[in-house]
Amino acid sequence: MTDPRFFVDSWDPAYGASFEAAGGGPAAPSSAQVDADAELPAVDWRAIGPRAGVRAPDVVLLVDGVRRIDASVWTAEDDGTSFPGLAASYAAGVVRCDLERGAAQLAGARVGRGLFTASPSAADVVAGSVRYPVHRVSGTGELNKLPAAVQGPLTALEVEVSGAARTDGDLLVVDGPLRNRRQLPRTLGYIKTQHSQYLDARLTTVVTGLAAGERSPVFKLGTAWGGWSWYLRLPVALGAPWAGIVRMECSAELGIDEAVGLADLSLVTLPRFASTPYKDPRAPQNLIPIAGLERRLRSLLGDARLLHRVLTAAARARR
Amino acid sequence: MTDDGIDGPGEVVGRVLGTADATPLQFWTAVSPGSYLQLDDVVVTRRELPDREPVTIAGVVTHVRARHEGAQFDSDVFAIADGTLPAQVQEAAEVTTTRVDPELYVPPSPGAVVHRAEGDARARALHFDRMERRIPMGMGRDGVPVYLNADFLDGSRGAHVSISGISGVATKTSFATFLLYSVFRSGVLGGDAVNAKALIFNVKGEDLLFLDHPNTRLDDATRASYAKLGLVAGAFPDVRVYAPPRVGDSSGTPDVSSRLTGVDSFYWTLSEFCADRLLPYVFADADDERQQYTMVVHSVAAHLARHAQPADGGVSIDGVRLGSYADLVDHVVEQLNDDETRSDWAGSAVGLGTVNAFARRLIGSKKDLSRLIRGDLATRRPHSINTAESAQVTVVDLHNLPDRAQRFVVGVTLKSEFERKEKSGTAKPLLFVVLDELNKYAPREGSSPIKEVLLDIAERGRSLGVILVGAQQTASEVERRIVTNSAIRVVGRLDPAEASRPEYGFLPPAQRQRALLAKPGTMFVNQPDIPVPLCLEFPFPAWATRVSEAGRAPSETLRSLTQSVDPFAVVGSGGGTSDDDIPF
Repeated sequence: MTDPRFFVDSWDPAYGASFEAAGGGPAAPSSAQVDADAELPAVDWRAIGPRAGVRAPDVVLLVDGVRRIDASVWTAEDDGTSFPGLAASYAAGVVRCDLERGAAQLAGARVGRGLFTASPSAADVVAGSVRYPVHRVSGTGELNKLPAAVQGPLTALEVEVSGAARTDGDLLVVDGPLRNRRQLPRTLGYIKTQHSQYLDARLTTVVTGLAAGERSPVFKLGTAWGGWSWYLRLPVALGAPWAGIVRMECSAELGIDEAVGLADLSLVTLPRFASTPYKDPRAPQNLIPIAGLERRLRSLLGDARLLHRVLTAAARARR
Repeated sequence: MTDDGIDGPGEVVGRVLGTADATPLQFWTAVSPGSYLQLDDVVVTRRELPDREPVTIAGVVTHVRARHEGAQFDSDVFAIADGTLPAQVQEAAEVTTTRVDPELYVPPSPGAVVHRAEGDARARALHFDRMERRIPMGMGRDGVPVYLNADFLDGSRGAHVSISGISGVATKTSFATFLLYSVFRSGVLGGDAVNAKALIFNVKGEDLLFLDHPNTRLDDATRASYAKLGLVAGAFPDVRVYAPPRVGDSSGTPDVSSRLTGVDSFYWTLSEFCADRLLPYVFADADDERQQYTMVVHSVAAHLARHAQPADGGVSIDGVRLGSYADLVDHVVEQLNDDETRSDWAGSAVGLGTVNAFARRLIGSKKDLSRLIRGDLATRRPHSINTAESAQVTVVDLHNLPDRAQRFVVGVTLKSEFERKEKSGTAKPLLFVVLDELNKYAPREGSSPIKEVLLDIAERGRSLGVILVGAQQTASEVERRIVTNSAIRVVGRLDPAEASRPEYGFLPPAQRQRALLAKPGTMFVNQPDIPVPLCLEFPFPAWATRVSEAGRAPSETLRSLTQSVDPFAVVGSGGGTSDDDIPF
């Protein structure tokens, strides 16, 4: 028997590590270096409203990806040891919102699957028409480190689908930080949950004091993936200080003027996509097109119970 | 489209859904983008089986729906229309199976390709290929003819038609006459069509009096649709119209106002009334039938048959000459009131109250029936309705008659026709009887002589070649045995309350809903061959349905005019008759 053996954890993978980050405001202060004087001197920081004459682009592309652990597996090595692994499905898609025509379409979607493990002997899992190629994780590959490994292929997939849907004059909004997508033109990163507190207490009060449809001045983050960044508040019934606040970022390679231009553009574009609380528990930050896209992508992932069953059957077949 | 119809029955319109149960008798089809399916479209799909030939499943679309996939809330439609929420419009159609071939009842597999059935595949799906004789009934929604199996009309395997629908909108009579036209002119009955007869009772207006007049509103489009059905658009060639005599007119001229030529009057002479025992038909009220006095009716009828002697148009009873129906009634009542003669007429065991109940009703009938039962007209003059000696289509005009007289005419005419067919003993030639307002003549409750005749026709008419084409607003009010004996059930626009009654159980729920909206000319026809009623539109009548549409009268009619006219009047008018100047 050449196929390496593996076992599927009978526990529902949902009991394992969660991908969903907790909401609320930023928990920990960040050590990142912040240049707050880019647009306005830090002493002059104030809320900025929509700039007159700035129009939302006709076409807005929104990119998002979803991932799901279909099963946790354990490999059986020849020497009797065992490595944990994750059989995960992930999908990336792009919604093309043609605001002029009033049509939001799925402009492209790709589904990938993978078996993420550090096991040196693991091979692709093929179960019927479903294939989980091996993504070998470096290091010891503990179970709680594996979910982060899914992000890499997913981001690559997102870049792939978003590149295919671009047209001139559009605006690409990427769900999450830009990371390695900074070279894409007219692209905004959209960070809906605030984990780190980048600004000092005085500037933070400017952010928490934003009215709906206002933004903070553009500042520069000095982290490895850093770039121009600003906060804006989506339409929301005023409540908690961080309610409806999202952080936007764009490529650090742009000049400050271009960054400010994108910031103004985001202020006239994004509020109309804000979702309503009774429809979406993550409202208003979880934008309507993104929510719709995630639903579509999740349905493209396939039925979780079915895939779990298929994996279990495949594991049994190798025994 | 290939000849075998399986490999390429028509364009691909979608695939069988997997999110709803697919069953052998009903399944859902997702419609491919860029295609559409409408109600009544015929589709076909195929199921491969491991050890035998594939099963072809054909059906009719009974429901279609479109929805936004990806929307969760009703208000999401605004976000979708606004261009912020991605969603997909997906149409799906419910298909009710009409045919499984070979008969192996397996469900179609989800994902199987569904084709629109065209040509032979459509004919197979609707069982038209199994019909040896097909009578065109009209066009389906797809603009292709739909057929009626003649076997279920002419009595070979079934007979009788029941047409229901709201008055005025449902076009029941028009459909009945179109069906007759199709039967007579499509050549389906072969040689029998020549001798087949139709007896039509005209109950409302003078609508049916112009069957032999071409319709002036007939246009090329209508002609083309007749041609598509294999028919020639035209009027009925051979029609004879009967109307009752005018009230108070001693010469017995027919009581019609719009049609002035080629109408004969019909009546019964007093001697026929007595000899044929027509008295019970005077008392055709269903409710009254439960009364005691029916004994008296039959006993008086027997007495009249025994003792009445024909006497120069009228009758003579016990030496008294009676010259009119009123005289007859008066004489009978007088005899019944006389203690000495009462027992001769009414029998001995009848109470005075019963006799009086009979007398009261008999007197009440004088006004209605005296124009129909005559003692003052020449006996040799043709006056009876006899389809065997009449034209192919005999129209009996009842619309001027009061209710009681209508029942009398229908009851007596049907009785004599049915008895004549009974005597002849063969089913051919066929006799089609078109009767509107069947609920009046054969109501669900009670019994009456007319209802007995109609029941007889419904139950035995099939073997005797009498085909009842009954129309009514509400099938639920018609005697159940008549409705159940009808092989073919037709529904036009229905009243909402009526549509929910069990009499329309043959309509699937979606069609029941649609019957509430059916526009004039749209009918749902259920025939035993096909498990789903077919929705069809029949073409505009090629014959006149009212005087304003009537074209030139056929020459036969004009000839009958000159023949029926009093020769002296022609001489007296000097310049002969013109169409406009009719001398009666």
